[in-house]
Amino acid sequence: MTTLFVGGTESISDEGVSQDSLYRQTVDTFSSSLDRLARAYELDPEARRDLLQEIHLHLWSSLAHFDRRCSLRTWVYRVAHNVATGHVIRQRRIRSKLVSIEDIETLPGGDWSEFAAGQAEALQRLSVLIRRLKPLDRQIIVSYLEGMDAASIGEITGLSSGNIAMKVHRIKNILRRWFGGGLHAE
Amino acid sequence: MPSDPMNDPRNIWQNQPTEPFHMSTDEIRRKAQQHYTEARMGALLSIAMGLGLCALSAWASARAHETVTRMGWALLSLWCIYFAYQAYRWMWPDRLAPDATVSTSLEFYGRELDRRRDHALHIWRRGGLTFCFLGMAMVVLPPLIQSPAAQRLNALPFFVLLIIWIAAFIVLRKRKRQKIQQEIDELRAYRGDISKNPPPAG
Repeated sequence: MTTLFVGGTESISDEGVSQDSLYRQTVDTFSSSLDRLARAYELDPEARRDLLQEIHLHLWSSLAHFDRRCSLRTWVYRVAHNVATGHVIRQRRIRSKLVSIEDIETLPGGDWSEFAAGQAEALQRLSVLIRRLKPLDRQIIVSYLEGMDAASIGEITGLSSGNIAMKVHRIKNILRRWFGGGLHAE
Repeated sequence: MPSDPMNDPRNIWQNQPTEPFHMSTDEIRRKAQQHYTEARMGALLSIAMGLGLCALSAWASARAHETVTRMGWALLSLWCIYFAYQAYRWMWPDRLAPDATVSTSLEFYGRELDRRRDHALHIWRRGGLTFCFLGMAMVVLPPLIQSPAAQRLNALPFFVLLIIWIAAFIVLRKRKRQKIQQEIDELRAYRGDISKNPPPAG
């Protein structure tokens, strides 16, 4: 486990914004997104709460070093995804079964275009799909589902825009196949 | 194709029910402190165990009559110091490097995989296992050789199990390393030129 930096006191950035107030701002803005992100990495509710807590601990700790070279959103997602990736890497048995977007693309998806059965079922299917993916691919699909554009996903993951475009294209194909309609061309 | 927004996976994902996060900043700070203290206690325990075993081995070395056995215990004693040092080096909670979790996912994941591959590659050397097994052999084998044949036969299952364990250790380590290397190669491909793997048309 990565050890946390425990500064003890609030550090003040150049702009005079303290670590604590930045953290509060982060929680106000990204609390729901972080909860969804944790759901993409952990199925078990108890373990998910622990993961979410770990993400918040690292976020608070990292904000002491926030230098505004990237947006707060990029910073928050990088930290959150990296902590969650660390969580996946530690689960060796699960990690060995993860696949890539390219592998999923070759699997039959079935027709879910008539999933009037309910949003809950669709969400469950989406979650199953996400949790089968390797960490980097999982980050891309979660970022895509959160509504981010290719440039933002690239900032978080470090992948080139070409790679992101290719991955997003494949994600759209998979989602279209797994969920039928509803995917609007962008 | 229907375009009902409620059928859009993005809408489904973003509209899922979430739970609010209830910890205050003070609680977060307290938790961080607690994590640090726990990690330090774990490291201290391992260091103390290493030093304790070192003292025990040194004591056994001083009491041994056979030269080879005495050297074996001395070697084990030195290995225990090495173990304590390794526990300090790898387990002691250091301050988090500013870029530990804020780097891009590609860098972070690549670094984690490199670390795991190196660990699998060097675990024998970093664990000082050669000295550990050599010391144990020097302690165990002389009395075993001098003992009657029947007693030597009794020790046979232990040595067979030891050989099986070492063989399994080597095979599993190699398999683990290959798997990690495969993932590292995949990441390298991402860093490479996109033109090698162009996006599909359409």
